[in-house]
Amino acid sequence: MNEVSDSPESEGEVREPQVAPKKTVSGRLYALLAVGLLLGLLLGWVLVRMSQGRPLFGPPQFHGLVIQSPPPLSNFTLTATNGERMSLLDFRGKLVVLYFGYTFCPDVCPATMVELKHMMEKLGRDGKDVQVIMVSVDPERDTPDKLGEYVTQFDPSFIGMTGTDDELLGVTTQLGIFYQKHEGTPATGYLIDHTATVSVLDEDGRLRLVFPFGTTGEDMAEDLRHLLP
Amino acid sequence: MNHPDGLAAEPKNSGRRWGFRPSFPVIMFSVLGFLTLGLFAFVTIRPIQVLPRITLGPGYFLTDANGAAVTNEDFRGSIVLYNFTYLNCTAPCPETSGTLQEVQARLDELDTGGIPVRLVTISFDPARDTPEALQAAAAKLGADPAVWTFLTGAPERLKWLIGGGFSVYYEEREPGDFRFDPAFMLVDGAGVLRAEYRTAVPDPDRILRDIRLVAEEVHNRQGVANYAYDAAHLFLCYPR
Repeated sequence: MNEVSDSPESEGEVREPQVAPKKTVSGRLYALLAVGLLLGLLLGWVLVRMSQGRPLFGPPQFHGLVIQSPPPLSNFTLTATNGERMSLLDFRGKLVVLYFGYTFCPDVCPATMVELKHMMEKLGRDGKDVQVIMVSVDPERDTPDKLGEYVTQFDPSFIGMTGTDDELLGVTTQLGIFYQKHEGTPATGYLIDHTATVSVLDEDGRLRLVFPFGTTGEDMAEDLRHLLP
Repeated sequence: MNHPDGLAAEPKNSGRRWGFRPSFPVIMFSVLGFLTLGLFAFVTIRPIQVLPRITLGPGYFLTDANGAAVTNEDFRGSIVLYNFTYLNCTAPCPETSGTLQEVQARLDELDTGGIPVRLVTISFDPARDTPEALQAAAAKLGADPAVWTFLTGAPERLKWLIGGGFSVYYEEREPGDFRFDPAFMLVDGAGVLRAEYRTAVPDPDRILRDIRLVAEEVHNRQGVANYAYDAAHLFLCYPR
């Protein structure tokens, strides 16, 4: 019934069908293109997010403690291992990874420095935009030479810095870090208690991340990649 | 014969259900509209309220009323309310310890779900506020030693901590006579500063509510609620 009644109609009206099929075909084509484009974009988005190791939605999940809306740190100037005075402003455009320790430190500091070395290895070429600085909280014993020798044995790009008590307190306090000298055994000499966290400042000198002691170099490298310019 | 006819008629009927066939842009715009409305509702009704994560709290090394060393790391995992004062503070001096007394007394009515709440008074007059003086003050104020800690330390460290870290002004005019701005600071278990009360007598209800909000966020941040809390932070859903 339908076939019989339909075919005469389409044959009878010659002019209108000529226009109508063209419209539907091009409309469908556009719809298909739009859907294809959307699917392509979605797939691209998923691939990009996955390749970056990010979740599909929302901000990247960091391993370290994220500091929200961080104010710029006040600038500080310390003595670097080459004897030069260097300030935070000298490192604009680079991610600055700050660690506070001292070369006589028996266990915690070497362990963290090794993780920082792993972090640099993991970062590979991206490491050129990252500057690791170990700040010694023991200026009495850590001369620039000694500190320089200590940090470069982990990675040649690492810098050591130190300063007077007043200069050091200005940096440590705003990074949530304390340090205090206390008596050790005659074999070790005095020891220094200090917070063993690693602080990450972005290229504008804002405190962005704090890694607790024990964060692996791999996790730190992953987090730093999200912050790289 | 009826069946094919009925089937063929169906699509036409469904198109006319609302009197018009919604086109692709209409669907897109209505979806966008609903999303915008939903966001607007979330931001205005604020079903989730959070305290801003202002900045990282400062690090310090001080001594308590027993002469023992206390650092900021000792309070990791607890919600800490700080105030800054000196004990010889007389007549025209901002009295801030009363607020801590009231907060301490009302901690029972607060359910933090097992997260300890600590009160810390930091004295910026170490010359006169010796450990013995701090002990006497703690006894006079009825401080519970498990909750309320009194700290002091070397003058330059105190200046870096209170002036530098918490941005609270104080100055010794004459020996033993200080001028200072009253302030209370709330720091969460991760060491992040969550609230500042820069007034002599803040509303204890407000402080207790803020402590509750911090504790709630710690407990509720699981699964999908994580995203909701991130959104609340992003859209500044702060309590008023």
